[in-house]
Amino acid sequence: MRKAAALMALLLIACFFTLCLGVGNAGPADLWSVLLDYDAANPAHLTIGAIRFPRLMAGLIAGASLGMAGSGMQALTRNPLADPGILGVGSGAAFSIVLGALLLGQADTGVVSALAFPGAAIAAGLVFALGGGLRGDVGPVRLTLAGAAMHALLLSLVSAIVLTRSDSLDVYRFWVTGSLAQAGERPLLAMGLVAVFAGVLALVLAPIIETLSLGTTLARGLGTRLVQAQAGALTVVTLLTGAAVAVAGPIAFLGLMVPPLARRLAGHNLRMEMLASGVLGASILLFADTFGRLLIAPAEIRVGIMTAMIGGPVFVWIARGLQREHHA
Amino acid sequence: MKFEHFGRTELLERSGWPIMARELTKTLLPGVATRRAVLGGLAACAVAPRAFAQDAPIRIKHAFGEAVLKEPAERVVSLGFTTHDTLLALGVVPIATRYWFGDMPYGVWPWAQDKLADAKPTMLSGEVSMEKVAALQPDLIVSIGSGISQAEYGVLSQIAPTLMQPEGMGTYETRWAALARIIGQAVGKSDLAETLIEQTQAKFREAQDRHPDWKGRKAVAAYHNAGETGGFTSTDTRGNFLVELGFAPSDTINQLGKNSFYAGLSPEDLSALDADLLVWVSSFDSVPDLVALPMRKLLKAHKEGREVFASTTTAAALSFGSILSLPYALSQLEADFVAALDGDPATPVASSVAAGIAP
Repeated sequence: MRKAAALMALLLIACFFTLCLGVGNAGPADLWSVLLDYDAANPAHLTIGAIRFPRLMAGLIAGASLGMAGSGMQALTRNPLADPGILGVGSGAAFSIVLGALLLGQADTGVVSALAFPGAAIAAGLVFALGGGLRGDVGPVRLTLAGAAMHALLLSLVSAIVLTRSDSLDVYRFWVTGSLAQAGERPLLAMGLVAVFAGVLALVLAPIIETLSLGTTLARGLGTRLVQAQAGALTVVTLLTGAAVAVAGPIAFLGLMVPPLARRLAGHNLRMEMLASGVLGASILLFADTFGRLLIAPAEIRVGIMTAMIGGPVFVWIARGLQREHHA
Repeated sequence: MKFEHFGRTELLERSGWPIMARELTKTLLPGVATRRAVLGGLAACAVAPRAFAQDAPIRIKHAFGEAVLKEPAERVVSLGFTTHDTLLALGVVPIATRYWFGDMPYGVWPWAQDKLADAKPTMLSGEVSMEKVAALQPDLIVSIGSGISQAEYGVLSQIAPTLMQPEGMGTYETRWAALARIIGQAVGKSDLAETLIEQTQAKFREAQDRHPDWKGRKAVAAYHNAGETGGFTSTDTRGNFLVELGFAPSDTINQLGKNSFYAGLSPEDLSALDADLLVWVSSFDSVPDLVALPMRKLLKAHKEGREVFASTTTAAALSFGSILSLPYALSQLEADFVAALDGDPATPVASSVAAGIAP
């Protein structure tokens, strides 16, 4: 209970920082007046209402989604170093965005960002099929291998397009590392609904997904329908990752670093871990974005770079922890 | 706006590509190892005898060494991303051009297309392939603003005399007039180069004479690309274009971007862009994200109708910054600059209205 309260407090502080800190001259005092009497000609109001609030929403959607997707992915693959990227979901989204930019010649507007979604879904479906899903024989190792192969294939296709066409590079560059800066132009409401739906589905499916992490034999012995459970977990991860990519672009390491922290707080109960992952993921992403806005002000560091900077050391820390467990 | 060509040198050096390329060159031109021998070999297989042979060779010093030509070059490979413009202006159709961006045939944009006429140069895209360059048997390689490394230069200069940027200049910093002078010398058309430079400068001067009110007014060239907004400094070709028309640069932008060619800004404070004239340089014709940019709406330049929008082709002309593209950009933008600066917020600026960014 105390841990839950601490987590909520952390999230509230993150939200407060996001709304009140930044280059623009707008602070806590303006929050009330924004709520009571919004004036679009007032720079402080515009900063909070049109720039920081959409960032907050996008951060909540993307952070919570990636945290939960990370927990789902780590349970599914029984690999504490797995993250949503490892099943080719992120590169699938990137590939369809670049392809869209190439064919439609579009600026990266809603059309292009919406393309992230089917891309992620198709990549996840292909990985599932390649991993043996069609024959009802999906093991975590096969799934991870298929995912890694798909990831490599899609990324080289992306490079092939980007290296020959620099106009698609212009669009892609901003999809290589995610950002919350364009949150105002993203389909926040739609993606928020997708994220909530997928989040609830994840919590419902959590106990079934959890049996997967006991190993296929034991899971089958417990009466789990393996293929359905794995397909369900993959659907949840795809929906969550797709929603996150559509509002913020690809964000590295968040789905990887959040679940181990959440496990420490919530213990080995996947439903509780997923809840904690959601809250932690959103908090960390919002903190990262706020610091990214302040570090080299007035210019900003993209949040995808910030999470990679924090996530790198955390990754090493988790990997070292694993090694010690192994030797013990 | 283009920010490409980063990091390619290190990759190539690490991959051992220059050594490979040198081997390839030897394979392609058997028994040939030195530059002198290469030149001799090429001269032997030259198609037509040269009409005029100069007594003294042409010597051009540059950042990586010196290019020595026995006579003015005729078969020219243009490796710089924009140097084919200068060659075409001088009446030399390059045998190969370098692809930068866009869907233009042979990488030649509208402002240079009539000079290309029916010629069909090879278009080189991506990394520079030494093998392809060698196969073209050039007698000059113009590599100013190409981003090649010293190691790659070592290979290229064995194929043919190779021009790099002047010593002390950054890779992409050679401006149009200096470029015309260097290339003019290499193709034996120094006098023509001076004439063209004078003509281009006259165009800028005439524009200043037509619009004496532009002198000293603050103008900023800005970009907004997928969530990042900022301004180009006056060392950049886009910022420099405005200075050449008599406008004053923004000290704030120049200060913020002093180690670069642009200054990134926070979406929460775009006040550094507020100038008498604000020119948005865009890679696209349709810019819903710029239209929606919240803080832009509080800029005086926006409220008073002093924004001009340079869409794909005009923006490319500014980015090329060449002896042919800049007069083209001027012709495209002049009327809009006048409409923006007429002191009446109600006068519509055609390009801004078309892009949907007008107040």
